[in-house]
Amino acid sequence: MNETITKGHFSEEQIDKDLLKNVNWGGKFKLWMGFLTVSLIICLYYYYQQLQNGLGVTGLHDYVSWGIYISNFVFFVATSLIGMLVSSVLGMMKVSWVRPVARIAELVAVAFAMVAGLIIITDMGRPDRLLNVFIHGRVQSPIVWDIAVVVTYVVISALLLYIPMLPDIALCRDKLNNVPKWQQKMYKSLSLGWNSTAKQFRLMNRYTRILLVLIIPIALSIHTVTSWLFAMTLRSGWDSPIFGPYFVSGAFVAGCAAVIIAMFFFRNNYKLKEYITADHFDRMGKLLVLVALVYVYFNINEIIVPGYKANTADAKHVHEMLYGHDSVMFWLVQLGGLVVPFLLILFKPMRKPLPLTIISLVILAGAWFKRVLIVVPTQLAPYYPIQNVPEGWTGYSPTTPEVAITVASFILVLMIITVLAKLFPVVPIWEVKEDMNHKNN
Amino acid sequence: MKNNKGYNLIILFCLCFLAVANVNAQSDWQAPAEENEKLSPFLFDDDMVLEGRVAYENSCTSCHGTPGQDDFTPMSPPPGDPGAEAFQAQSDGSIFYKIKMGRGTMPKFEDAFADDELWNIVAYIRSFNEDYKQELPNMEGVVIPEYAMRLSFDENVDKLVVKIFAEEVPQPEVSVSAYVMGTFGKHLLGKAQTNELGIAYVDVDPTLPGDEEGKINVMVKATKGFARAKLQQDLAMAKPTERHSAIEGRHIWSTDRMAPIWLKITFFVSVFGVWFALLFIVFGLRNIKKAREEA
Ligand code: HEC
Repeated sequence: MNETITKGHFSEEQIDKDLLKNVNWGGKFKLWMGFLTVSLIICLYYYYQQLQNGLGVTGLHDYVSWGIYISNFVFFVATSLIGMLVSSVLGMMKVSWVRPVARIAELVAVAFAMVAGLIIITDMGRPDRLLNVFIHGRVQSPIVWDIAVVVTYVVISALLLYIPMLPDIALCRDKLNNVPKWQQKMYKSLSLGWNSTAKQFRLMNRYTRILLVLIIPIALSIHTVTSWLFAMTLRSGWDSPIFGPYFVSGAFVAGCAAVIIAMFFFRNNYKLKEYITADHFDRMGKLLVLVALVYVYFNINEIIVPGYKANTADAKHVHEMLYGHDSVMFWLVQLGGLVVPFLLILFKPMRKPLPLTIISLVILAGAWFKRVLIVVPTQLAPYYPIQNVPEGWTGYSPTTPEVAITVASFILVLMIITVLAKLFPVVPIWEVKEDMNHKNN
Repeated sequence: MKNNKGYNLIILFCLCFLAVANVNAQSDWQAPAEENEKLSPFLFDDDMVLEGRVAYENSCTSCHGTPGQDDFTPMSPPPGDPGAEAFQAQSDGSIFYKIKMGRGTMPKFEDAFADDELWNIVAYIRSFNEDYKQELPNMEGVVIPEYAMRLSFDENVDKLVVKIFAEEVPQPEVSVSAYVMGTFGKHLLGKAQTNELGIAYVDVDPTLPGDEEGKINVMVKATKGFARAKLQQDLAMAKPTERHSAIEGRHIWSTDRMAPIWLKITFFVSVFGVWFALLFIVFGLRNIKKAREEA
């Protein structure tokens, strides 16, 4: 299996050179960061408006109190789960081709998980009362569980990014002499005096293994609990016992797509064609086929079962989806964002880097709108009719501040990934070398 | 019998005449002179307009439409738009009288609204007239008694007892209306007049649902001439309601009260267990540092 991955055979110096190349603060980086910063500041202005005037500046109201903020939150949590699938499940199964892309997956996971927590805060009208959730939270409320698991998942993902990176940080410390002082100092303290002793490797492997085991139940529960926020409410469209696995499988689809996009970007910009090969894309594409298949299966269940029983409220929900108010978005998301891409990547040529990345972009966009479809329509179909309220309350459309704040969350993710990918090598150097030695012997 | 036929003809003729006269009269509806000059004892303020608006929307919109929109129901004679100039051209007393007494298809609201509520509606109608200046009665020399009200419930006869005094003197012949205050507005409980002892009795249906202690929030208004008083109070006069959670007995843990102990244990053991492992690793990082010297 290994042979197909890295075609060339490089000397260790060559590998060091290739993979450390991205650790620098080039002009392109500054331009990109500048662009991100300016955009973020513009978006933050809208958040300032929301802080001043409250959630009234959004399109949210008494009926749709969860809009694109919460949809976006679900999307972010979903996307971050890929870290668990790639580094833990595949890693522990000793699927060695994932090793060069595992760090990218972990980067995506950390960035999305960190920002997911922030998104929840943007959905609060009074963020200054955030602490009350911790002080007065009720253990029987899924919202409290959600906070507990999100925080835990961020910490585990960060540790899982950090600990296996120790040898590479040490390499940065030793090799990179022309980076700023503070950066050298940072490598020095972060590398924990890494010296590649056997005992250090043993400890590192032990801690990594504990984390890899821990992260599986945590990751599963983070998204299961997120789904419970909905499923434990007696509302048509949410009242479904398969919501947990449905969300988790959807999460892997979004996450795979995100990782593929990140892989493509790093491969081209950091000139890593020899390390992240076309074969990696092919395999990630196959993984995407697998998870998309599971997700399609759950999607069919979500519609077929309530559609057959057709109890009043559920029937209405299904009708709205299939040919009612939400049907355009529904079919675009289901066919355009899931089924068609899935069918396309069954064919090998479609799993080449460029086509796969384009398809992944479509899937990722579909995944985002899918979350909106899960969150919003249900709230517009309460059991009591919507009446005697302002006309706008029979629908929901996000306002400019809402969209801007949502865009801000994506900008933050890009910033986190960009900075981390500039501070550390995105491909695990020591693991690539280990692989290479292994093969050469 | 012949005579009879003649009479019949005359009667028929008279009826026709009356009918035609009536149609003519309908286009010109005049309140009696005395009523015409009647003035509101209350200054029309925003509160009155607001209350009047609610009453208007509930009782008048169906025929008169929204004032100023000319969207009244077409009928003969036309109800007219209360915001229109012709409508506004009459005196307060005239509007008041017409709402109170009604004519033809215009219902009589005498029983539905107390006088002050009728004035609320007039205030609301007037709020659509920018040129309107309220004319207030000349109150010089008129002494308006200040009412004090006391409410109680006589459970032997299921009656709300309203006592009205002015400076400790019982006030007879005061109109009293009692309401139950609900979440979505007030509901008329009954109307009565005080007797010579200053006491009015209003029937109460004992099966009314109250709160846990059988209390309901009642509001009583008393008016006589220019004097008026209002009192709102919780009175234990209805059936106590035992509140049950809609899912009581069926739920396992989604309770309103404290979380069940097994849930607390599960939650805290898992959270602390995981964090214990994480702290173990974080502190273990020191060991990695120590291990650098190993041979
Ligand atoms: C069933 C329909 C109906 C309802 C309900 C109704 N009205 Fe009328 N109203 C009429 C009609 C018809 C006339 C014209 C009567 C006539 O001229 O004989 C009228 C006439 C009037 C007039 C006299 C108009 C004028 O120009 O002299 C006033 C004032 C009035 N209504 C007020 C009210 C108010 C206030 C309410 C609600 C509390 C109300 N009406 C409810 C049908 C209605």
